[in-house]
Amino acid sequence: MATNTYDAIVVGSGITGGWAAKELGEKGLQTLVLEAGRPIDPDQDYAEHVPEWEVRFRGMSDRKKVQENQPVQETCTGMDEWNSKFFVNDKQNPYTTEPGKPFLWIRGRQVGGRSIIWGRQSYRWSDLDFEANQREGLGVDWPIRYQDIAPWYDHVEDFIGVSGQREGLPQLPDGHFLPPMELNCAEVVVRDAVAKYFPGERLMTIGRTAILTQPHNGRAACHYCGPCARGCITRSYFSSLNSTLPAALRTGKVTVRPHSVVHSLIFDAKKRKITGVRIIDGQTRDTIEFRAKIVFLCASALESARILLNSSTTEFPNGLANSSGELGRNIMDHCMGGGARGRIPGNEDHISLGNRPNGIYVPRFRNVKQKHPLFLRGYGFQGSAARTKWERGTEMRGFGAEFKHTISRPGPWIMTLGGFGECLPNHENFIELDKTKLDAWGIPVLRISCVWRENERALLKDMSITAAEMLSAAGARDIEPYIEDNAPGLTIHEMGTARMGRDPKTSVLNAHNQAHDANNLFITDGACMTSSSCVNPSLTYMALTARACDYAVSQMKRGEI
Amino acid sequence: MFQAAHEQLPEQSVLRTLNPHQNAMVTTISEIIIPQTDTPGAKAARVNEFIDLILTEWYDEEEKSIFLTGLTEVDTRTRDLFGKDFIDCAEKLQAEILRVLDDEVAEARGEVRRGSSRRRPPERDFFFMIKQLTLIGYYTSQIGFEQELHSEIIPARHAGCVPLDEEATK
Repeated sequence: MATNTYDAIVVGSGITGGWAAKELGEKGLQTLVLEAGRPIDPDQDYAEHVPEWEVRFRGMSDRKKVQENQPVQETCTGMDEWNSKFFVNDKQNPYTTEPGKPFLWIRGRQVGGRSIIWGRQSYRWSDLDFEANQREGLGVDWPIRYQDIAPWYDHVEDFIGVSGQREGLPQLPDGHFLPPMELNCAEVVVRDAVAKYFPGERLMTIGRTAILTQPHNGRAACHYCGPCARGCITRSYFSSLNSTLPAALRTGKVTVRPHSVVHSLIFDAKKRKITGVRIIDGQTRDTIEFRAKIVFLCASALESARILLNSSTTEFPNGLANSSGELGRNIMDHCMGGGARGRIPGNEDHISLGNRPNGIYVPRFRNVKQKHPLFLRGYGFQGSAARTKWERGTEMRGFGAEFKHTISRPGPWIMTLGGFGECLPNHENFIELDKTKLDAWGIPVLRISCVWRENERALLKDMSITAAEMLSAAGARDIEPYIEDNAPGLTIHEMGTARMGRDPKTSVLNAHNQAHDANNLFITDGACMTSSSCVNPSLTYMALTARACDYAVSQMKRGEI
Repeated sequence: MFQAAHEQLPEQSVLRTLNPHQNAMVTTISEIIIPQTDTPGAKAARVNEFIDLILTEWYDEEEKSIFLTGLTEVDTRTRDLFGKDFIDCAEKLQAEILRVLDDEVAEARGEVRRGSSRRRPPERDFFFMIKQLTLIGYYTSQIGFEQELHSEIIPARHAGCVPLDEEATK
């Protein structure tokens, strides 16, 4: 069917799918974007300015309905009464785990994917990250280094807009930044104390975030309303819906097809190529096939691997493009939940204005200059300080006019530092198809087997200690170090299920995100990651996607694909 | 006093769990917690309707039972002490009873804190619940947000550290 034939098919419309659509469209390829979920209309669906009194439960969510339909999604603190529609229905999208190995899989199925609800923190990797596996003999070596990806970080940052402060750190390269947001009063106190007591080792800076602090590429500057993850009618934070998809559609080459649940890829064993994509229409339940010269899987780390696992052939009985046996293996997520909070005295007569949708960042300092005796790699801290609000009244004694007067005014400055730690690649953290269970579209679900191990636990413990040290240096009172036992997945940085590598025997993808087993298949979402670093991964996914698109099109032009 | 409390009640048809007597109690208690001052209080913000919604659609059966039993027990206390229902007591006596309940919550919280490393408020205590719902219902209302907190949906600007303008937040 001619109408079902394209130059390129992109599976997924989130952070990476949007980039693939834009890049391929701009390079002149007729591109079809297949999105499993529904279309989103910003005018109708964005809810960031809807006041609390206009939602039924005043921000407490429809508890019984959520417990019934979204018990997994609910564990994500970013989900609220306004934006729960941007998270999947767990009954329609089940998965299984083994006893004692919980995994929290937080997902968004709609045009824009999880880019609508992401945390927006945007950090470059460094060679400390790209060289780590080789240095320690863990997993496999990354087939690329910082210099390979650096121009693509520039390319992505220049388009999406990332605000941040240059710090000149080798382990956290500076980017092309828009002006930074400001630290608030208590954060300045902690930053100065960290600089004074940990010179040359630790540093606190403003978060680097994909939010515009000035107009950029036709999008407006942030107006500091706060809740980005409910949408943004001024398009001031980056999402594919706000930025890359409109650019892709402007090329006139790109078609986005919502309600297209990808079932599997079609492989031609003679040509050694993917010839098409089989979908189930989410509304009609019809099975439809689309054909293309190249296919980009951008469906998220676990979904992209799931599609390949569900595309087995006689040659690839354990999943398409899986001659290495590494497909679905080596899942990583960042370990999160070690940190500390405390009250920062002073500045009681000061306040910050606006709802800054960003926090602080303490770049990794462990295993940077000297080797730590207890663990490999390291972690960075995110967090913020804020004056407590009326909510503190529920834990205070009292009521009446004076009580009302007190809690209506800002309370003490509380600073929280929470670590995000690097997870080591481990072959025994894996996903496979669970053919005993089907999702709402009749596709076998995933069985996920992933646990934190000794190194991640050691990182969490160290986070709580070093966070408390920094707060203590700043003169904080009532310091509470904490270690939370979060299941893997909750950081929503799951990655690694189709890793890049130099050797087809031990990796699924090559240095250009191209499958070793099918040269017209590219996977550029989190699945491709060979190690996890400790910084938020989305900027790297975007840069790798743009880089892979450039490579794919140049190879097509040369007749190599 | 009894009659006055009932006359000021909002339309009762909107209430699905609280009966008129319970509603009068909830309205009175929440107004004592967040009274009208130079800004409107809990009653004006219709906190009782919010509490009825939570009791009807949000609380589980056990929480609902703790809350409604708690209301009954407040009447039991006032009858034992003063020989009448809570809403028929003078304002001063009503506040006195709530003071006792508030002290009990604070003590329970203190005991929990001594017993474990984490600070956990007694969430399944009647007075804790009604105080919490009153604060949420009030401060998330349009009255609370605009008139009491002077908050804005779109601040339009950000500054990290500026002097707190007492007048602007009054």
